Amino acid sequence: MIDTPLSAAPAFALGPVTVTWPVVATWGVMAVLALASILATRRLSDRPGKAQAVLELLVATLDGEIRATIPGDPARFRALIGTLLLFILAANWSSIIPRVEPPTAHLETDAALALVVFVTGIVWGIRALGLRGWLATFAKPSWVMIPLNLVEQVTRHFSLMVRLFGNVMSGVFVVGIILSLAGLLVPIPLMALDLLTGAIQAYIFATLALVFIGSAVNEADAPRKEDRHE
Amino acid sequence: MTFDWVTFGFQLVNILVLLAILRRFLFRPVVAVIARRQAETEATLAAAGTARAEAEAEARRARAEAEATAAARHDLLDKARAEAEAARATLLDQARAEAAKIVAEGAAAREREAGAARAEALGRARDLASVIAARAFEAQPPGLSGYVARLTAALDALSPEERSALLGGGHPRLAAPAPLPPADLDAARAAFARFGVTPGTETDPALIAGLEFRSDTGAVRNSLAHDLDRIAEALRDDRAA
Repeated sequence: MIDTPLSAAPAFALGPVTVTWPVVATWGVMAVLALASILATRRLSDRPGKAQAVLELLVATLDGEIRATIPGDPARFRALIGTLLLFILAANWSSIIPRVEPPTAHLETDAALALVVFVTGIVWGIRALGLRGWLATFAKPSWVMIPLNLVEQVTRHFSLMVRLFGNVMSGVFVVGIILSLAGLLVPIPLMALDLLTGAIQAYIFATLALVFIGSAVNEADAPRKEDRHE
Repeated sequence: MTFDWVTFGFQLVNILVLLAILRRFLFRPVVAVIARRQAETEATLAAAGTARAEAEAEARRARAEAEATAAARHDLLDKARAEAEAARATLLDQARAEAAKIVAEGAAAREREAGAARAEALGRARDLASVIAARAFEAQPPGLSGYVARLTAALDALSPEERSALLGGGHPRLAAPAPLPPADLDAARAAFARFGVTPGTETDPALIAGLEFRSDTGAVRNSLAHDLDRIAEALRDDRAA
């Protein structure tokens, strides 16, 4: 447990590189997710068991959400959106383990997540529209909007980062304060609320990431639709 | 508040690594098994569709065969019915012809038998008539004198009361089949003289031959016709007995 959630405490050093506790916690989350994935998919069969059914439900739900937002093959974004959802969910819920602070309660982790979404949106925008077409989207509906569109492109991802960071960090902060003031069992309801908040925030982050990426891809689909109507 | 760029870099790499791990070990296998099951389901559906189409084709073929069988059965029944009708008509015609032949043969046989019976009866009647006539003629006396003698003998054979009643009746006469010659009449009257009566004459061709005495109270039969009647009556009585 760190003294303040606004700074990452170092865990150990690898030569000149200092490894902080959020990175270590992230490795733990990664290990758990990887191990669980390997175990869960080790014996997949055509007659699914309960675990396999849950996995298939997860994938089918993801595909449905992606298909509802971005027409086309959902496989293009399934791994990214699914990884974001599972990682943020697991990271947020890691707070129930004593002395473990969720990695998402630190700005660096949320910034990395937002950066991945930001870059993915740019890559898929350029991939779908071409560089000129993607740049032209900033001049829509008018070139006057270029500065605003550029700022929006940054700020919406920044808000994505800050939203996750603020919600998770505040929960950890509040629990830490109450724990230091009241005692062992008092923060439990707030921790339960944090679990709910963590799940909601994971869903919100994944959905907004999907919407942001989809906005770039759908820009490419829009003229084709108009062509079809013509 | 500080921003640790090293931690940011680690987390960035961590997220990308996790993305690769989950893509490799979670999403790809699950999607693969879903796709495989969908493929198997589609294959099963396709196979079921094929089997259904084959079953429907088989059912159509079976229906066609059943209809063909029913039509063939119907044709066979019609043919058999027609053949039976023809055979029945033929048999009826044969039976009618045979019956007609039997009836004709029976009628012919009956006709033959009736003819034979008639011929036999005629022969027997002829024989009988011959016998009767022969007996009757054998019983007849020769000549009128014989009839007179037999007539007077018959009168003698009567009891006195019967004789007197007969002779005493009115209109005594002698009946003959033809008028008596005067000589014969006289001879006859002479024979009757002992009975105290002189009979008159009467011609009766039905007597055929003979001489009878008749009065209003009776008659003494003495003729061939009477003999014939007696013989015939005797023969009838014999047959009746």
